[in-house]
Order: sequence, then C-alpha cells, then structure tokens
Amino acid sequence: MSLTPRFVDEMRAIVGKDAVVVSVEGRMTYECDMHTFYKGAPDVVVLPTRTEQVRAIVQACRRANTPIVPRGSGTGLIGGAMAPQGGVMVSMNRMASILEIDYGNRCATVQPGLINLWLTNAVRERGWFFAPDPSSQMVSSIGGNVSTNAGGPHCLKYGITTNHVLGLELVTGRGEVVRVGGKTLDRPGYDLTGVAVGSEGTFALVTAITVRLTHAPEAVKTVLAAFRTVIEASQVVSAAIAAGMTPAAMEMLDEAIIRAINAGTGAGYPEGAGAVLLIELDGPRAEVEVQGERAAAICREHGALSVSVARDEAERALLWKGRKEAAGAVGRLTASYLLQDAVVPRSKLPHIMREIVAIGERYGLLIANVFHAGDGNLHPMICYDDTRPDELEKAKEANEELLRACIALGGSVTGEHGMGMDKAKNLPLQYADADLNFMFRIRGVFDPARLMNPGKLLPTHPACGEGFRPQRPRLPEGTWV
Amino acid sequence: MHCGICLPQCPTYRVLGEEMDSPRGRIYLMRAVAEGRLDVTDTVTEHLDLCLGCRACETACPAGVRFGTLLETARADMARRAQPLRRWRLSDLLLTVFPDPERLDWVFGLLRRYQRWGLQGLVRRSGLLGRFPRLSALDALLDDAPHAETLPEYVPARGRSRGRVGVVTGCVQRHLFGGVNRDTIRLLALAGWDVVVPREQGCCGALELHAGGIDAFRGRAGALAAAFPDDVDWIVTNAAGCGSALRDAGHWLPGSRAARVAARVRDVTELLVDGDLPLAPLPLTVTYHDACHLAHGQKVRAEPRALLRRIPGLTLVELRDSDLCCGSAGIYNVLQPEMADRLLDLKLDRIRETGARIVVAGNPGCLMQIAKGARARNLDLELAHPVTLLARSAFGSSA
Amino acid sequence: MSVTARTLGGALIAIVGAGGASDDAAACAAAAIDGRRPQWVVRPRTLDELARVVAIAHDEGLAVVPRGAGHALALGSPPARVDVVLDLCGLDAIVEYNPDDLTVTVQAGVTAGALAAVLHDRRQTLPLDPPGWGSRTLGGIAATAAGGPLRLRYGTMRDLLLGVRFVQADGVVTWGGARVVKSVTGYDVPKLLVGALGTLGILGELTLRLHPLPEAEATCLLPLRSTEIAQDVVARLVDSPLQPSRCELLDAAALAACGLPAAAVGLVVSLGSVEGAVRAQQAMVVAEATRVRARAETMGPGFWRTYDRVLAENGPTVLRLATLATRLAATLDEVRASLGGDAGVTITGCAPLGLLRVALRQDEPAVLAKAIERLRAFVDESDGSVVVERGSTALRTSLDPWGPVPAGPLALMRALKQEFDPRGTLNPGRFVGGL
Repeated sequence: MSLTPRFVDEMRAIVGKDAVVVSVEGRMTYECDMHTFYKGAPDVVVLPTRTEQVRAIVQACRRANTPIVPRGSGTGLIGGAMAPQGGVMVSMNRMASILEIDYGNRCATVQPGLINLWLTNAVRERGWFFAPDPSSQMVSSIGGNVSTNAGGPHCLKYGITTNHVLGLELVTGRGEVVRVGGKTLDRPGYDLTGVAVGSEGTFALVTAITVRLTHAPEAVKTVLAAFRTVIEASQVVSAAIAAGMTPAAMEMLDEAIIRAINAGTGAGYPEGAGAVLLIELDGPRAEVEVQGERAAAICREHGALSVSVARDEAERALLWKGRKEAAGAVGRLTASYLLQDAVVPRSKLPHIMREIVAIGERYGLLIANVFHAGDGNLHPMICYDDTRPDELEKAKEANEELLRACIALGGSVTGEHGMGMDKAKNLPLQYADADLNFMFRIRGVFDPARLMNPGKLLPTHPACGEGFRPQRPRLPEGTWV
Repeated sequence: MHCGICLPQCPTYRVLGEEMDSPRGRIYLMRAVAEGRLDVTDTVTEHLDLCLGCRACETACPAGVRFGTLLETARADMARRAQPLRRWRLSDLLLTVFPDPERLDWVFGLLRRYQRWGLQGLVRRSGLLGRFPRLSALDALLDDAPHAETLPEYVPARGRSRGRVGVVTGCVQRHLFGGVNRDTIRLLALAGWDVVVPREQGCCGALELHAGGIDAFRGRAGALAAAFPDDVDWIVTNAAGCGSALRDAGHWLPGSRAARVAARVRDVTELLVDGDLPLAPLPLTVTYHDACHLAHGQKVRAEPRALLRRIPGLTLVELRDSDLCCGSAGIYNVLQPEMADRLLDLKLDRIRETGARIVVAGNPGCLMQIAKGARARNLDLELAHPVTLLARSAFGSSA
Repeated sequence: MSVTARTLGGALIAIVGAGGASDDAAACAAAAIDGRRPQWVVRPRTLDELARVVAIAHDEGLAVVPRGAGHALALGSPPARVDVVLDLCGLDAIVEYNPDDLTVTVQAGVTAGALAAVLHDRRQTLPLDPPGWGSRTLGGIAATAAGGPLRLRYGTMRDLLLGVRFVQADGVVTWGGARVVKSVTGYDVPKLLVGALGTLGILGELTLRLHPLPEAEATCLLPLRSTEIAQDVVARLVDSPLQPSRCELLDAAALAACGLPAAAVGLVVSLGSVEGAVRAQQAMVVAEATRVRARAETMGPGFWRTYDRVLAENGPTVLRLATLATRLAATLDEVRASLGGDAGVTITGCAPLGLLRVALRQDEPAVLAKAIERLRAFVDESDGSVVVERGSTALRTSLDPWGPVPAGPLALMRALKQEFDPRGTLNPGRFVGGL
C-alpha cells in the first residue's frame, strides 16, 4: 500500500519535517533488521521525540487504517523491525534519554531508544548495572529489549528483561497513553506490564520504561575450560546445575566459533579445542572463590583439556568481548546462516548436541554453536552458501528438523530472540489451537484494529483468526439437551 | 553483515538517529546500488556524502568490515557513473587546491592579504557569509593564515643514533602548524633518530582518496613514496589523516614501492613512546581528543596518552566520547557545515566536562575545528598537538 | 433448554463422581464465601474434570469460585455471585520433577509444604514463603500473587512461574509459557494469570523454576532506635554488594509477638550462601549495626518459622501497603497516625522493596475505612497502593479492598475480562474494579 501525500503531511505536522523519511533510498535502509532474509520497507519512517507525538501518530494511523511498526536499533534477529505490509515505521532512536535514575529505590526510567549498555555506563560508577545483557547490548535499545523480552548470557542468574521491568508507558493500539506498573510493586489488577513485555510491538508502542537496577556484585570470577567435544562440555553444564551451582553465566562456544572469534578480536580462546565453556560466577567474594574452585573441579572431572581463570578485569573483558561479538564474527566463517534460538531442558544438552552434529553431517552443512548453555538456550548457526540455490533449502530443512528435536525434548521455540516473522510459523509447534487462540485474543484487547506490527509473533493459522472456536471438553451425555 | 554494532559509534547516527546515515545503512545503500536495486540518485549521494569517513565503525566492527575502503570505492564508482556535466562543486575547488603545494601557497598568500587588509572583518560583518554556509565555515576556520617556513633537510640524532627516519610534512600542517613539524623533527632527534625531511615530497593525496579520487591518490602517494630514500627505517607522520591514508597505500597500490613505504609509516607518537626523552615539569591539566584517523584509522590511542602522562606535573583528564569525530574530517567541515557544527557542539560539551584548559589532538584538522568552536563560544581553550607539549617540556618551549 | 439443579447435580456427579460433588446444606454453608452459599461444592481430581465442571457452569450461567486451602478467601471484594465453589485441593499431584533442570510441574492443589518436603531431599527449594505458606496451595499462591520475605532475593510467583495450564471460562483447557527455564515463545500468558484471582482462567497445573538451597544460612536482628535509622540502614544495605535473602522490618509489636527483645523497630536480615560467604556478609551487617550504635543479635534457625506463624495468625484485618523504600519511615508514621494507637497495629514488611504488612486487631468497618482512605491518599503521592489482604465482609463491602486503579489500565483490564469471561463465570465481582 502507499500513503497519500496528505497523510505524509500529517506526519510532518506531528513530528516535524526533519523527522519524516519518505525517500525510496532512505526507506529502503529500514526494510530489514539483522535477519536480512525478511524484507519490507515502510511507506514512511517517523522519528518522534515525545510520547504525545507517538500518540498522535498512532491515532492518525488508525484513522488511515495503516500498519504501525516500531523500530529500535534494528538489531533483532527475527524479522521484527521491518514492515511486510508497509505503513508507518516509528523509529525510537530520538527518544533515547535517561529520564530518571533513582538509586534509593533501585530503579531508572528511560526512553525506549536508549542503548542498553548506556544505562549501565551511566550507573556503573555508583556501583550499579542493568542486568539484561543481550549480546547486542552495545547497540540494541532498551525498548527493543522490552519488545522481544531479550535475554543475554547473565540472565542465567539474573533473569531476562521481564524480570527487570517495573513499569511501562504505552501507546496502545487503541491510540491511548496508558501507564502500567511503576516504581512501587504489587499494584492491584492484572499484570499488564508482564504481558506487554515481549509482545513485540503487537500491543502498543513503548514510550518509557521503568527498570530495576542491580547492584554490582562484590566479586566476579570467569573460568574458561576447553574440551575435546561440545558433548563433553555440555555434560559439565548439566553436572554443575545438578550440583546446585548458580553461575551468573555459562556460555558455550564450539570449534568453528572459536576460530572465527580468535581471528576477529584475538580473544585468545584455545585454538584446536572442540569446545570452550565460559563460566562466570559473581556474588560475595567468598562464595565466588568456593564456586569457582568447584566449577573448575567439575570441568577437570569431565576431562577438560585446560582450565584457566581470568586473572584480572582486562582478561575477563577480553574473554567476554569475543563472546559478545560472536554473532558478528561469524561473518568470517560464512556470508549466510540461519540462526536458531531454541531451548532444551539443560539436562538434555548432551543429547541435543549429538543430534545437532548428526543433523549437520546429514545435510552436509556447517553448524556453528555459541550459546547460553546454562539455561539450555541453543544458538546453532546453520551456515550455507547463498550462491548455491539448493543450499538455502537444505539449511531450512535442517533448521526445522533441529527445532522439532528441541521441542520433542520438552523445549521451547525461542529463548530470547522472540518470534517476529521468522518464528511466528513455529508457534504451533509449541502451542495447541486453544493456546494460540488465547494469545490472538489478548492481542485484540490491546489492539482491536490489529494494526500494530502486523504479521509478527502470531502465525497465519486458523486459531489466530476471528471466529475460531477452540475444542471444549466433552460433557456428560444425556443429562440435558 | 547487518549486526549494527557500529551504529552508536557513528557520529552522524549519534546526531540524527537515522538508519541511512549510519554505517549499516550506508553499506546497505552502496550494496543496493551495486546490485542494481538503486540508481546513484542525489539522495544516495547525500547520505554517503554525510559520512565523515572517520572509520569509527571499523573499530567497532566484529567482522572486520573495512568501511573506509568500501566508501572510497563506492565514491569512485559513483563519480564514474555520474553525468559528465554535473554541478561544479565546492569540493572540487578544495580538492584542486589543498593537495597542490604551489596552489596552496598561492591561496594562503591571498588569505593573508584578505586578513591583513581587514577584508575578513568586513566580510564577516556584511552578513554575506550567512547566505553561504560552506564559505562561512571555511572562513571561520581561518583565523590566522601563517607562512609555511622552510624546514631543515637533515637533522642528526642527539647522542647515539637508533636509526634513520623520514618526516612527512603534510600540506595543511606545513602551513598552519609549522611549529608541529619543527617540534616533530627536534623530538625525533632528541629521541635518537637521524631525521631526513625530503624537500619535494608533495601531498599524500588523502583528501582525494576520501573523496573517491583513487587514481589521484595513487599518483600522489606514489610520488611521495618516491621522494623518500630507501634507507629510512620509518616514515613519520604527525597528521593523522596523512598517516592513515599512507598506511592504506598498500591496499590501493599493491606490490608497489608505495606499498613498501606504507608498511613503514608510523605516527610520531609511536616512535617517541619508545624513546628516552628528558622531560621537565609542566603543571597543566589537559584532555586528549582521539583524532579519527589516528584512533580508528591507525589504531593509535595509547601512545599519545602515555607520552602526555610522562610529562611530570601534567594531569591528563579523560574525555568522554574522546573518539567521536569533532566534525573536522578533512574538508568535511567546509562541505557539511551543519553536521560538523553539531558534532563540534557535542565535542565542546564533553571538553567542558573535563575542566581542562588544553585540548591535545594529533591532527591539524581537529585542532583547527575545535579551536574554531572555542572561539565561537568564547571558551578559553588552547589547542595543542602532543609534540607541542612534549617540546615545551623537553626544550622549555615549543617551536 | 436449561437444566434444573437436579440435572446439574447429575452432570457434576457424572464428571467428578458422587464423592466429588456435594449440594449438602452443611457442606455448602461451610463453603460460603462472604456469607454467600454456593449450590454446589465440587472437588475435581483431574484437570479434565475441572475443565468439564467449568464448562457446564459456563453453559448454565453459573458463577464459579475457585479455592485452594482457603487462606485468601477474605481477599478482595465479596463475590457478586457464588453458585459453584471449586475446591482445587484434590488436584494434588506432583506431575513431573526434574531436579537436574531445577524445574517441577505440579497440579494447582499441591501445597507449598508438600512440595518443599519433596524438594528438600535434593537440596532444592521453591522460594515462595507467603504467610502460612506450608499449608497454602501453589495455585492459591499464584492466583493471589502472595509473597513473603524471600521475595527480596528470589522474586515472586511472577518470576518463578514458567508455564501454566488453566481452564478458560468456557472450559477450554489452555497452556501458556514453557517447561524450560527460559522461553519467550508467544505472549507471556503466565504473567497475566498470576495475581488475577482466577478471573481470567482457573489454574490447573503450574511449571515452576526451582533454586538450590543455600548451603549455609545465618540470620541476625538489628534492634534500632527509630524508623528513620531503619530506613537509613536499609538504604545502606541496598547500596552495597550484600545479597541478603531476606530483610524484614518489624515494629515494636511485631518484635514482641516474635518473642524478640524490645526495640522501637528491628530489622531481621538473613544471608544464604556458602559458609565463608555467609560469615563475611554477616560481619558486614554487624558492622552496619555498629555504625548506628546498635548491637546485632544472631538468631536461631527457627526464627523464620516463628515469624511465619506470627504473620499467618495476627489479627482479623491485614493491609498490604506498597510504597517506596525511600519513604518507609514517613509511611510508618502515617500508618500509626491514621490508625491510632489503640488499634493493635503490628507492622512488618520487606523494607528494601518498600512493602509493608499492617495487621490490626481493629475490625470496626467505619473506623478502618476512614483510616484506609487516608493511607491511600498518602501513598498515592508515590504511586503506591493499600490493599485489604484480609478483612471482614463488612469492611470489604464498605470500601473497595483493592483501592483505585487508574482509568487507563483499568479499561484494559475490563476489556480483558470482557474478552475472556463475558458471562462472568469466573469468580465474579471479587477482583479490582468489580471484575
């Protein structure tokens, strides 16, 4: 669809002419997020600076029956911040301020476009941090993190975004500004904050976020162990969890990734190892010391080739630098890959790693792995050569097979990336018709016109359509009719 | 690659928050042109022209994408595709003048007269500049246009010689910051190097390279390389832009003499940091701005800081966002005055936070740009090249 | 054609068996909620039975009131209608326990105490300890979002509920969330049901995240001279790398009820970790006490049991106050001023989170209502709330026990209720705004 000049003028009147992008060239750069496979340019991009403008935009779109797509830093991995049906893209990059930092009540209120790491940078000197740390944290926006309910390596201990969001200011699909939650806890009523986090812009645009700040731990210890195989390394993960350890993070990298990262940042991961396990412990110093030794011992018991501990902050930062940049460094391995985000129960890690190796061999594709092992959140990257037409198809098949294997083990379709366009189709793997229908109806409450980020999160499926009736339980016969 | 880790490091993205004015967006545009999805429209050109070429994105990139090279290639390609009768641009004038020593001498002579006869004041008062922002930007930079002085061709090492180095004198540096060249030579000699300064070295061609004039760059870099004798161990630059371009010569002139020279190019601070300089106290508080083509282009960050910290009594206060471009970027501040000014404002805000009265930077463009901003804001700031302070400490005065 | 009570009874018995459904007058009287007697008390044993009972009630336009162990029946407004009381204690199976994954799936009627007994063997815990937790059902804890001292470290049901199977108003069995510790697949349905008092769906089965039990634990009491000092100490503990498991504030009455030495106010801090870390952190707490010229006292391991018992028992009226940690002292003063000295007030709470629990012997509705309105006006300045967690039917009739909910969120809540329970089958009238 395309918008009338009058509508574009209305947008200009709301946000100012310097905050409206209409050129074909400009709009094209907004046609995809990091998952470049899905493309859809918006008809216009607007860059508001105030909540009131956002409300006016949503109301104008409702009048014009035009889709609304939010965008933060465009670092999503799921085809989320793109406009498959055109319409208005609301880019939050000019709403990027910290509105309040309240140390006494351990919280901060920020605008959605604020870059995740910048919040931590702002409070670090006072000894605090913002716990959700997606690997993209140096660029991804907190609004985007809220939208996808983003995770990160340290959510093993600290929880994902939703566990750190206290309140939201929303402009709902109804075109109303609604403040849900806030600095005080236990508000009477439904947990609207909870259900809005992770709704990927299909309920509302987020215009302000109150988040929990976390105090920096007394001590941090990073243990790095190298193993012959990923299967050995994943046995360590299960053993550590079963032994009652709660590391802050437990990350696994396989051989291909180790190579790519070392080439990039010179992180100095042991070359030649089949897997590296990065275990981070934080908390009271004495606890970290004891747990660090235990972690090292468990690694050795499971045949680690080497176990080392980062000696100082610089070494620790370097080990993490490589991990955080892994997704980018894969560019050195392959131009194209499909990225999976499935979760398995962590006790099933050795099982699924064997399966991944087998699937890779069966399809003749390199599957590189770097993932949050501690909570069973896999990130296999199925590499393919996009100059060969059959390879993408093969990769897709391998991808589906892998996902089904995870679900069969009691897992989940996505652990932290979200659904977007990419995984919406997989929602029925995990949910029955009634479950899908329930979600479809929640969305309708926030966005009755279904204009908010259409085509994302929910699949095209009968249960996600008007008038669908889920299966009811069988009632006793003969008592009445 | 589309990860966007470069975005927050990009100055124009920081100011505008727009995808097409970010490295990721620009690459997307270049690729769309290369794939034939887009023509080289004015809009595409505008977004690419707004790039400062600061290469902060390269520092950030985990996949090692060489954005600077991509951009230079794209600019060259677009220049070829552009219509022959396109508008004559200010950039063409500047690129005609700057890299040519004789023309530059002539223009600076003209400028001195412009200033001496009171014309500058007249023009500034006339309000004429307000209607031509680019000319206004050019005017504001030129507070003082001194003579280029003649430098010695050879200065022997003080004490035992560690080897032989050649000094690149640069174009703008030679005219506006002649003292920096003299201090460079004195300090290198003090640090134990025999210093040669070839007379007919010409320009390195950096400005042309950044504008996509790859052939022109090849010619100039080749000529400059030829001016340096084979027996020098290092070729020393003190202007970040020159150093960065020369180090890239290997990419553009593979296998040539220039490429071999390129491998021996070092920033002056990289050589001095290993030397044993006798330094006297300077009770100063300074802050250090990372010139893009030093920090991003040449990965030189630690050396100038280490040298400054070595001066007794000197306090170095770190500058927040020290490696965010000040807006100078070669001739960018003349061509894109509005964006340049917004970046300059950001820079000056940060400088003010430090409380330092002296700002140190290793590039003449940055020194001019920040000085211009300080004048406009009536800030009492001294701008200095690292070697200027080192010379003051080592010799009691800078040149 | 509608169905008579007789044929309804036949249908219910056909579903849950003769022992599972009763219209016996005494049983119905005993199950009355705020004086409203149901026609039937039904006790399903399986999720399927639960679903079928709800479906019938829905079709017949009957109101269903779910209940667990009955701890929170005096929470919320008196129900608008009560036709069927659903006793969920029969759903008491632990469906699947995966110690190596630190997850467990239980039916809603399992008590926290019964689960704790199972988990204890593997040195694991579900760290939810609302007052009287041992005998409360997990479904009830989820539906009321009840929390206790441990929420300081572990959060509440909101943070621990991974997946939920529930029955919608029309009997459709629905699942939301996941069985793994990390999932963002689809909307976060479990969040919507926690604290919803069964008004959007009746909880049948919960998948929960577990934590390892700390190897060592220590608790100490800091008796303090004033609430201002208490607030200051809390602020300093919060702004430190200490990771206390609990940090409860007890006023003089609460200290006395727990048999502790007299003081104006006390803070009880517990630390859980490995032995060495517990000792080191305890030393930091003691140092903090010394700074304010107080003497920290080490408490025995039984303290938290005593505390739980005191909380579970005290008074006919309990208010739940949410304010900001930085307004703790002022709020305490306001509570005392509002309720007067003779109300038999006992105040406890999770100080770092700005949460207070006010127990009163007073149950005179008119007096209480006035005091509560005054308190609400006070906490409103910090966007806080005062909820009647327990109170007489008269009190909860004379004022809204939930307090005001701003119009914007309330409109969305109404729309949710309208979407999922337009006929008012599920616990009608008890939730916020009369939902």
